[in-house]
Amino acid sequence: MSDRKEPRGTVPTNRRNFLKAAGAGVGSAAVLAGLNGSATAASGEPIPIGCPAPLTGIVAADGIEFRRGLELAAEEINELGGILGRPVELHFVDTESKGDDVVIQAAQRLVDRQNVHALITGYNLETGTALFDVVADASIIAMHANTVAIHDETVKSEPDRLWGTFQIDPPEIFYGVGFLDFVKDIEAKGQFERPNNKIAIITGPGTYSVNIANAMRDNAANYGLEVSLYETVKVPISEWGPTLAKLRADPPAIIAVTHFYPQDQAQFMLQFANDPTNSLVYMQYGASLAAFRDVAGEATEGVVYATVIGALQDEIGKAFSKKYIARYGANSSPNSGGQTYQALHSYAVAAALAGGSGAPYEEEQNKAVANRLKNLIYRGPMGTYRCVPDTLSAYCYPSQTNDPSLGMPHIFSQVQDHKSDGVLIAPVPYDVASFKTPGWMKS
Amino acid sequence: MIISPALRKNFVIAIAVIAGFALVPMVVTERYLLGEVIIFFFWAIVASQWNLIMGHAGVFSLAQMFLFICGAYTTAMLVQFGDLSVWLAMPVGAVVATLAALIIGAACLRLTGAYVALLTFAIAEVVHVLIITDTECFRHISNNCQQLFGGATGFSRFADFGFRKILKADWMLGNYYVVLTVFAVTIFATLVIIHGRYGLAFRAIRDNLGYASSRGISRFRYQLIVFAVSAFFTGAAGSVYAAHFRFAGPSLFEFSTLMLILSMVIVGGLGSTWGPFIGAAVMMIVVEWMKEFGDARNIGMGLALVLFVLFMPGGLAGAFKSLWGRIFDRTPKPAAAPDTNV
Repeated sequence: MSDRKEPRGTVPTNRRNFLKAAGAGVGSAAVLAGLNGSATAASGEPIPIGCPAPLTGIVAADGIEFRRGLELAAEEINELGGILGRPVELHFVDTESKGDDVVIQAAQRLVDRQNVHALITGYNLETGTALFDVVADASIIAMHANTVAIHDETVKSEPDRLWGTFQIDPPEIFYGVGFLDFVKDIEAKGQFERPNNKIAIITGPGTYSVNIANAMRDNAANYGLEVSLYETVKVPISEWGPTLAKLRADPPAIIAVTHFYPQDQAQFMLQFANDPTNSLVYMQYGASLAAFRDVAGEATEGVVYATVIGALQDEIGKAFSKKYIARYGANSSPNSGGQTYQALHSYAVAAALAGGSGAPYEEEQNKAVANRLKNLIYRGPMGTYRCVPDTLSAYCYPSQTNDPSLGMPHIFSQVQDHKSDGVLIAPVPYDVASFKTPGWMKS
Repeated sequence: MIISPALRKNFVIAIAVIAGFALVPMVVTERYLLGEVIIFFFWAIVASQWNLIMGHAGVFSLAQMFLFICGAYTTAMLVQFGDLSVWLAMPVGAVVATLAALIIGAACLRLTGAYVALLTFAIAEVVHVLIITDTECFRHISNNCQQLFGGATGFSRFADFGFRKILKADWMLGNYYVVLTVFAVTIFATLVIIHGRYGLAFRAIRDNLGYASSRGISRFRYQLIVFAVSAFFTGAAGSVYAAHFRFAGPSLFEFSTLMLILSMVIVGGLGSTWGPFIGAAVMMIVVEWMKEFGDARNIGMGLALVLFVLFMPGGLAGAFKSLWGRIFDRTPKPAAAPDTNV
């Protein structure tokens, strides 16, 4: 564990600081505040936290939000007295939206140069396992939202070595069947009636998108659907003409775009809106970002999207989103920034419960933090983080647990007004509105 | 083999350089910094081989990173799918890159100048697109679909050199000396080629094709040879890169990487002996320094490239030679293209 040589007084936690940090979830803030309030021996030396994130390149829009989320969380944690009296200090390295080789060096730089006690990030593009070895070699903690099944497989393959890398959301495998269940649900409620039994699936080349698309394709028949088009597009893509021509030639009841770049999805909708087919349009993750609505405007109204790590629209989620948007502007995306925000808050609670964070190579202390994270049930603006013990990924509600207080919700939202975030339409109890038939569909 | 004075002089420099790098881990213990030196070795190898083909043989090829990727992917696939030891997979990677170069060369070398550049770039881009748009699962690892060529993610966390088990926390040292060995072999081989008969033939074709042909030097044959030789070492570097990072993926195809290596060659000095190595070192330092500047990093590199082309066409090696000449050689000489002695 890090130095505990200089005794300090109690951490200055007061009601004002506590309420300021309420965006993290009152209960969670209370835990941290309580632990800080009773801390007496911590030095005031900052705890360095590293973030290897795509701050430039094709997914920089997300990377910038990851940085903002961490900054906001760090401010709140520090207002509560840091982690047992030690303030959190952030360090960022750009991974340029590139692959494992760049991510590995970025993470190593943070470990060696900044002595980070933990690496916390959202996702890095097309890389699911890059952090594992750097983290294991340095015996520190990593938390990411790569949302990939390969994380689970890798952790299961070397549990004794890879104890420190946590996926703060469920893997992507729940998306495909989850979407088909969602369609079945809105049909059962009479909110949607499919004009035919065809589904068109459009995927990008990434493993994340492909795994989701394949799950939809492989399970479509179980839901009475026939795959009329399965198309892979080269990304980034702005010209959707050839794909749209195929859709218009054989209009499906459902169009599922599992490629997730918001700017590409926005272009799809702009071009789709010129001559829409009578189809429900589902888009993976990217439509949850403000950039999607900024680019495509009114054409986005009616689009359904999903994420397994998005800001909820309940009391805690709304408080966070309001604070986030007030801080970073109307074009910012709490859905994205909330990922690292929630991760840093949960790390702070776990580290405080473990008696403090550990510097690189302080294996015993960091294992204590990891054990706390493994057993933590943390409710933040994105839902409840609770990890599956043998994969260190978050449980998915409702796919893995039917208790919404014990899993990260797989939320479905719909853009009903392009000037504001989409409204949450599933699952219960997080839904705040019902699915509305998009304007382009024949009622 | 007759060793010319120029070759002897360069051998001495090479031994000093390699000995210096062999001692680096004595003073540099930071894993990140050692990792950056290792990356320097990789890019210096690619830049030196690109310099061989473009600077010495005058073939304007843009296939160098593609050949690097051939080595990397071959190694990754053999280890991942074939359960082959990485030590066996690496030489195969170099050979596959060589075979790819022979095929590409046979097609491209019927063209000249910018057309070679266009065709080689097009081949690399077509392969890139084919890899990233392949969504057909070659095999499943539990719920995870893995494409034959790794799709948009590529291959990662396959077996490495094995130093983690032997050297524990110092595993990076093992990797460092493996890469340094490949770097050293490449340097010596390149020196022998540049300062030997092949180097003369390459430059003869570059400088005066008509005269070279009249002396019985076949352009096609010699340029195919330089394609193959440079591909072997580039492919070897790619193979070792894959083994070091336990990664081979389509991000290696990124145009920014191609530009970085090209700028190393230009900044160092196209057609010189040591220029690409100097250029690689300088550009690695510039890139490291500019990491804090976000997107401005690429603008900075582009600017450096333009400034060097405009004001220092012979690169740092050419400038050094010119300075050396001014100080130690007062005999006026006509301006000449950068030669091979720097």
